[in-house]
Amino acid sequence: MPLWFARGLRRGVVTTRYPARSDPSAASLPTPPAFRPRQLTLRTVDRMVAECPGTALSRVAETLVFDVGACTACGRCARVAPDAVAPSGEFELASTARPALIKLIPIRGGER
Amino acid sequence: MRPGPAEAVAAAGLREQIAAQFGRSLHIRTLDTGSCAACEQEIRLLAAPHYDLHRLGFFFTPAPRHADLLLVTGPMVRAFEVAARKTYEAMPRPKVVVATGACALGGVYQSDPFVHGEVDAVLPVDVWIPGCPPSPLALLQGLGVAVGRLAEKTPGLTFIDGGGA
Repeated sequence: MPLWFARGLRRGVVTTRYPARSDPSAASLPTPPAFRPRQLTLRTVDRMVAECPGTALSRVAETLVFDVGACTACGRCARVAPDAVAPSGEFELASTARPALIKLIPIRGGER
Repeated sequence: MRPGPAEAVAAAGLREQIAAQFGRSLHIRTLDTGSCAACEQEIRLLAAPHYDLHRLGFFFTPAPRHADLLLVTGPMVRAFEVAARKTYEAMPRPKVVVATGACALGGVYQSDPFVHGEVDAVLPVDVWIPGCPPSPLALLQGLGVAVGRLAEKTPGLTFIDGGGA
C-alpha cells in the first residue's frame, strides 16, 4: 500500500467533500460585524449609518437594518462604536434568498 | 426580476433537478460585469491545490454553451448588459446564476446611468454570495449551496452579539 494512502487513512482526511473544519487562515479574514443591542444608541447608530461606505446599514425607528450582502467588512462601524460592534467571524454566508441576508438588530441603548 | 410565489416554486423544483443532475459534475463560466478583479483573484485561487474545486466535481469552462452555472461578479455596468444577457441565453437549461461579492449584491454602487448596481436587475439570480471579496472557502460553500449539497447558514445567523440580549 503506498505510503500516502496509509497517511491519509490515519489522519482521516476526506478530500472529496467541503472541509469539515475551517481553514486556519479563516480566523484572520475580515468578517461582517455582529452588534450588541444594549450598547447601541440612536446616536451611535446614526453615526455608524453615516460612516458606512455602502448601503449595508440603515435605521428604521428603533431598529438597525443590516444588509449582510451589502457589507464589505471594512470595519468603519466598529471604529465608531468599538464597544457595540465586533467582527462576527462568519464568512460562509451564501444564500438562496436575498431577503435572508437582511438582518434586523434592535436598538436597546436608548437615545444618547 | 423579483420572483413571485410561482417562480419560487419553479426555482425550488429547478434546484432539485440541479442537485440530481449536477450533484457530481458542474461546469462554471465566470462573468466579470465591471468588478475590481478582487473577486476574480479569489475565484482563481479555487483552482489552486489548497482549495482544489475539481475534487468536488466543479470545473471552469471558457464557453457559456458548456456551462451549467454562471458565476457573476461586479455591479453589472450598463455597457455589459447585452453581453450578460447573451451569455445567459447561450447556456443550456437548467442553469444557475450565482451573484458573487458585495458589488453584485447591490451593496457598493447605486443604480445610475452607468451601472445597474446589482446583477439581479438583469439576470435571474439563484444564489447570492456576500463578501468583499468572498474568500475561496465562502465561494466553495456558495457553490455547494447552489447544487444543494450544503445547507445555508445565513437564515440561522442573527448578527447579534451575546444571544440577542
